[in-house]
Amino acid sequence: MRQGLARGQSGLSASEWPDCDVPCYLGAVDVPPDNLADRGRMSRNNRLIELALAQDEFAAHVARAQERHGAHRVGLVMGTSTSSIDRTEEAYRDLRAGEFADRFVQPETHNPHAPGDYVAQRLGIKGPCMTVSAACASSAKVFAAAKRWLEQDWVDAVVVGGADTLCLSVIYGFHSLQLVSQEPCRPFSPDRQGISLGEAAGFVLLSTTPDPVQLLGVGESCDAYHMSSAHPEGLGARLSMQRALEGARLEYSAIDYVNLHGTGTRANDETEGRVCAELFARSPDTRFSATKGWTGHALGAAGIVEAVLSINALITGLLPGTMHTTVCEPGLSLELESISAELKTVLSNSFGFGGNNCSVIFGQS
Amino acid sequence: MKLTFLGVGVWGVGLQDFEQLRRCVQTREAGVGSALFMPPKPAAIPARERRRAGLMINMAVEVAHQACLHAGVDVSGIPSVFVSAMGDTDITDYMCRKLTRPEKLLSPTKFHNSVHNAPSGYWSISAENRAPSTFVGGYQHSFGAGLFEALCQARAGGGPVLLVGYDIANQAPFAGVTPVGENFASALVLAPADYPQPAAFAVGAELELVTGAQRPTRPQTPVLERRFAANPCAQSLALLEFLADPWAQQNSCGEIVVPVGQELALSIRGCAPA
Repeated sequence: MRQGLARGQSGLSASEWPDCDVPCYLGAVDVPPDNLADRGRMSRNNRLIELALAQDEFAAHVARAQERHGAHRVGLVMGTSTSSIDRTEEAYRDLRAGEFADRFVQPETHNPHAPGDYVAQRLGIKGPCMTVSAACASSAKVFAAAKRWLEQDWVDAVVVGGADTLCLSVIYGFHSLQLVSQEPCRPFSPDRQGISLGEAAGFVLLSTTPDPVQLLGVGESCDAYHMSSAHPEGLGARLSMQRALEGARLEYSAIDYVNLHGTGTRANDETEGRVCAELFARSPDTRFSATKGWTGHALGAAGIVEAVLSINALITGLLPGTMHTTVCEPGLSLELESISAELKTVLSNSFGFGGNNCSVIFGQS
Repeated sequence: MKLTFLGVGVWGVGLQDFEQLRRCVQTREAGVGSALFMPPKPAAIPARERRRAGLMINMAVEVAHQACLHAGVDVSGIPSVFVSAMGDTDITDYMCRKLTRPEKLLSPTKFHNSVHNAPSGYWSISAENRAPSTFVGGYQHSFGAGLFEALCQARAGGGPVLLVGYDIANQAPFAGVTPVGENFASALVLAPADYPQPAAFAVGAELELVTGAQRPTRPQTPVLERRFAANPCAQSLALLEFLADPWAQQNSCGEIVVPVGQELALSIRGCAPA
């Protein structure tokens, strides 16, 4: 990710997805066909999770936390939207007399908790463990649950993560809603055409141990308006940002950078831009960008991807630009090119189907 | 941690509200009313939307409103936690079958209803509720994981939280793999013990997180025991049975165990409300 950011390289490319004739660009990951020790839990989503766990000695960090605090004091909250539906789709392509073929008889895999179950087994999680599934807000909301667990002293550390895979369900699903762009997505561009789908897995280990980067606040809300259209006045988006700031006891002007949800659809960007322009009207130094042109929209994993991008911006001072967007829609001024900036506090937005919204604030002490 | 249960909603085979469940418990009768499953028609969702929503969403929204009405809480302000072991397998089946066809045409409505937080979305719209709402999966431990999440939220917010758990009977090919034999949904409104009681119904309980693999406590009423055995979210039934007749149940069973995960459970003991 850091290499791609430094080189200004988008992960999107023209779709070559098997058995798929929707013209689009995808942020597809080169997932090894068989990198799981536990083949009973085989799915693309779990293989993608395995790729993320192998990075940065993440599993070793978790093991050390378990050793230090006791295994029952380390919890897990995963976020997902697709779960392992990729595997269920595959199983349906190979039904035997209407039943799953033997190799697809995987009770732990064909359900919404599959990513939480996989990671818990893999990391030996003995503390509380669950999978949040709130569409594109899923792996932002994991921070809200983990924060409560830590503050209420149920645990000393929580693994939070998200994982979503590309699959026919999401490509043809968003296609049915006419939301898929034929070109790489251009969030907040006046001529934007829709989303580019992506896939990702990511993790963060949260603990009560002091660290230079801190989780300062999380805000959650519902639009209570429509299942797949955002509230036209952005009521829910406004509430989630307000609640995150209230939780962090911060003013809008304290936010140095906002990683927007910015999917690239006409309505979503319009609403989010209008709400942010209004809320941050008196904080001229706050910078904004939308990063789905780099990664694609990883749906249930978008929250964790953009949390990691935001934390990375705090640590490195590299604020990622709005890839593929060359002209910004009037209203909210976005950083189109990546810039270096000294950032102390960042906010990341994630909004999903069902009108579910979440905003997360990280800060540097 | 001490909690107060303020409201209950339930829907399943032969069960259409908490009052009916209470009669089952108190009379120990096998069949109060019909032992057939009748799909709910939640008044909070317009008829046209109900048809589009499908059985699982209708059940979830129905019991959510029942519990809030029972508790006398404001439906527009209460945060909520929705849980299910399997999600909407009718929609999963629809999507996966369509995607095996050459044209792969999906209904946009079915697609947006396929997100696991769809019941929470329909609920929030029907209740005009903009409070936080989440969906939590924990496979066969979903009810316990949701109960744990709801109690954390009640503690964090200091007010009532709505917990809604449901699964629908699996058809082939899921039926051969996963454990849902019949439709069941229940909902609870719970609040921290020091929250001022808004309604006549209030049952106090002490909840404790205990380690080690635990089996869920089975309800003692035979008809409820059958519901319990056929649906993972019916792991709520020992607690619902206790709430239906707290004094009698407290003497006989003492502790109710609800697994939160493989090696973690909530132990629930009745106590006088604060």
